Amino acid sequence: MPEVYNWQLGRKMAYVYEEAHPQKQFAAVFNINRCIGCQTCTGTCKATWTFSKGQEAMWWNNVESKPYGGFPQHWDVKILQKLDEAHQAAGKKAEWDTAQTGEAEPYGVYNGMTITEAATPEQQALGYLPPDSEWRAPNFYEDTSTGYKGDNLGISTEGASLPEHQTWFFYLQRLCNHCTYPACAAACPRKAIYKRPEDGIVLIDQARCRGYRKCVEQCPYKKTMYRGTTRTSEKCVACYPRVEGNDPLSDGVPMETRCMAVCPGKIRMNGLVDIAEDGSWAEAPNHPLYHMIKVEKVALPLYPQFGTEPNIYYIPPRWAPRAYLRQMFGPGVDEAIARYVAPSRELLAVLQLFRTTQKMIFRYEIEEGPLVLETEVNGQPWQMYDDTVIGFDAQDREVARLSVVEPIHERPVERLNSI
Amino acid sequence: MNKRSLLSLSLILAAAAALTFFKVPLAGSQGLTLVAAQVSGDLPLADLDSAVWQQATAIDVPLSAQNVVRPMMLNTNVKSITARALHNGTQLAVLVEWADDTQNDSMVRVQDFRDAAAVQFPLAEGQPFFCMGQQGGNVNIWHWKADWQADITARNDMHTLYPNMYVDQYPFSAAADPIVAAPADYADSNYLPALASGNLFASASRLSSVEDVIAGGFGSLTAQPVEGQNVQGYGVWAEGKWRVIFSRDLESTETEDASFGAGKVYSVAFAVWDGANGERNGQKSVSQWVSLQIEGVAASPAPAAAETKTESVSYEGVLWAVVPMAAMLLAILGLAGLAFLFSKLPNK
Ligand code: SF4
Ligand code: SF4
Ligand code: SF4
Repeated sequence: MPEVYNWQLGRKMAYVYEEAHPQKQFAAVFNINRCIGCQTCTGTCKATWTFSKGQEAMWWNNVESKPYGGFPQHWDVKILQKLDEAHQAAGKKAEWDTAQTGEAEPYGVYNGMTITEAATPEQQALGYLPPDSEWRAPNFYEDTSTGYKGDNLGISTEGASLPEHQTWFFYLQRLCNHCTYPACAAACPRKAIYKRPEDGIVLIDQARCRGYRKCVEQCPYKKTMYRGTTRTSEKCVACYPRVEGNDPLSDGVPMETRCMAVCPGKIRMNGLVDIAEDGSWAEAPNHPLYHMIKVEKVALPLYPQFGTEPNIYYIPPRWAPRAYLRQMFGPGVDEAIARYVAPSRELLAVLQLFRTTQKMIFRYEIEEGPLVLETEVNGQPWQMYDDTVIGFDAQDREVARLSVVEPIHERPVERLNSI
Repeated sequence: MNKRSLLSLSLILAAAAALTFFKVPLAGSQGLTLVAAQVSGDLPLADLDSAVWQQATAIDVPLSAQNVVRPMMLNTNVKSITARALHNGTQLAVLVEWADDTQNDSMVRVQDFRDAAAVQFPLAEGQPFFCMGQQGGNVNIWHWKADWQADITARNDMHTLYPNMYVDQYPFSAAADPIVAAPADYADSNYLPALASGNLFASASRLSSVEDVIAGGFGSLTAQPVEGQNVQGYGVWAEGKWRVIFSRDLESTETEDASFGAGKVYSVAFAVWDGANGERNGQKSVSQWVSLQIEGVAASPAPAAAETKTESVSYEGVLWAVVPMAAMLLAILGLAGLAFLFSKLPNK
């Protein structure tokens, strides 16, 4: 098998195909801390793409309550268990070496096996095929928190104190990660799955698919889904007409996808980042996604150890147990939470840009404002400035302008009751 | 992949290549000849119990698991098939039978895989790689699918597999009762993208249980266009056994089709999938090449230049055709000798 460089793992890894990279990559940051679990994203994707016969159990976007929820049920527990068994059989440990970090290995070096490295002769990547029973009840365990062991009611009076709640859950928003090294594409014996050179979006060619369900079996995130009426598999298409700027609303510039653009919790930011020939992200310090992912490292990939180099990044929930989060987002969790809890002046401004426009933001500028708050966060002094952040679209036109402090408008007395 | 498995894979590949090059049979089926017996009148294309089949000599063909490329499954279920063939000068019919405890003829649920069988013919001179051919050595495959067979009677659909399902409506489907909406009820096939892109799997109606495809190596399987789909099938499962008839006109002018003529020898290979075992694509049981002899007298010799590529016969094909014929001749002579001797024995 050829070797490819996976920067999320800080090393080369075995992959079915030679290393090749798109010019741009579809990516997003999800701020888990802000999600209200409303499922507007989920319903919007369904109302756009998957309302037809055979797609009943197909939720290209879903939001599950961790730690118990999962669509399909227990998908991550099952694949983690398989990976663990493979490590035990090989006498290896799935450990990270965090002593060495740098540009090419921001989270350190993963010394364990990825799903392509742990594959059996039957597969290109370690996986399993969930039966229909596991695709049902997509939001099973919704809002189910862990129990507190110290009290027979499962409630702790100090339960909600940080840094770790005694009883906790959080929402995990999921869609296809449009991976750099897609396991779905590796798995397909017919090369019916491809990654577009212009934006890195991963698609299933519906003319070539023969319903083998190898992708359903080997995508570790379980984001290709089988459709019984057409006997083929389908997946999230990253709303590509919007990303291409072909949607009538888009004004000819790339637009965020449907699930991103509708989010009332303002947790999602979607964009395209420039990829250098060697697969690294071309330096773009004023790109909001580049800033959050590469400069601040406040947003992290989901289960990077799977090895597909996923392109949806998460700001981890600051109240959940760190060991659980490290398993889910890798060793960068502690630093990411620290940076989110006490954001830098620039990051605080960038965080305001979420959900201010349907157009993808390619660049931001910050106009400095006055110091408005001095306080302490985790025993450290922290200042807040009322800066203004301005977002620009693909044609460098201004599309968003926000101040850190939300402007307040007071109604005049005579209109107090008017609606 | 670690070095060891890389090494073992390359060893397997090298071994397979060597075996193919030296034509060493993996499953011991080389040397077998399937004779398509010439009969007059209509062929029993949809009659498995017709006495006409008795005129064809059955051969048992050993199968083994595909073990050259991933995905493979080394414990496939079907170890052999029985094959018979008939022709009547215009049509060819091949009857394939194999044991299978379960009938898997639906592809609706995510965990459902179909039972299937395929017969394969080289499209070029000689014998390309027995597993789906190779680059520059295309093969024509007739792929029978149990679910397509079932679809002909009544298309498998969500509501047939989930009889208690409920839905308010499926937008853009014209079905009066939304539950029974079939692909044909969608005026705009964009809501069934596989159908819109011409994928036969999603076809609103099934005209045959056999898909006519070509391949030139792993991963290259491609369905012929709808106009080129000219193979018929008929399969029935009963008492732990599938019996499937493949049929087509002997001759075909399509470049993607194998073409046959009486009195000539070709090659054929078989493959079977057991859906209950999750077998699909490369996870299958396959045979080596078997000689296929079309009984009868060859049409008046055509000038060499007019000979189509599929009609050329490999040296080995001739050998395998000649050897059994010679053996048969010897046997007949022997029997005649014995009969002669017996006739000379004194009567009681
Ligand atoms: S998340 Fe799964 S379906 Fe999406 S690109 Fe990655 S491997 Fe493929
Ligand atoms: S990007 Fe588009 S297709 Fe993909 S989950 Fe979101 S709404 Fe659905
Ligand atoms: S729409 Fe936004 S807030 Fe609502 S569930 Fe989806 S990601 Fe969370």
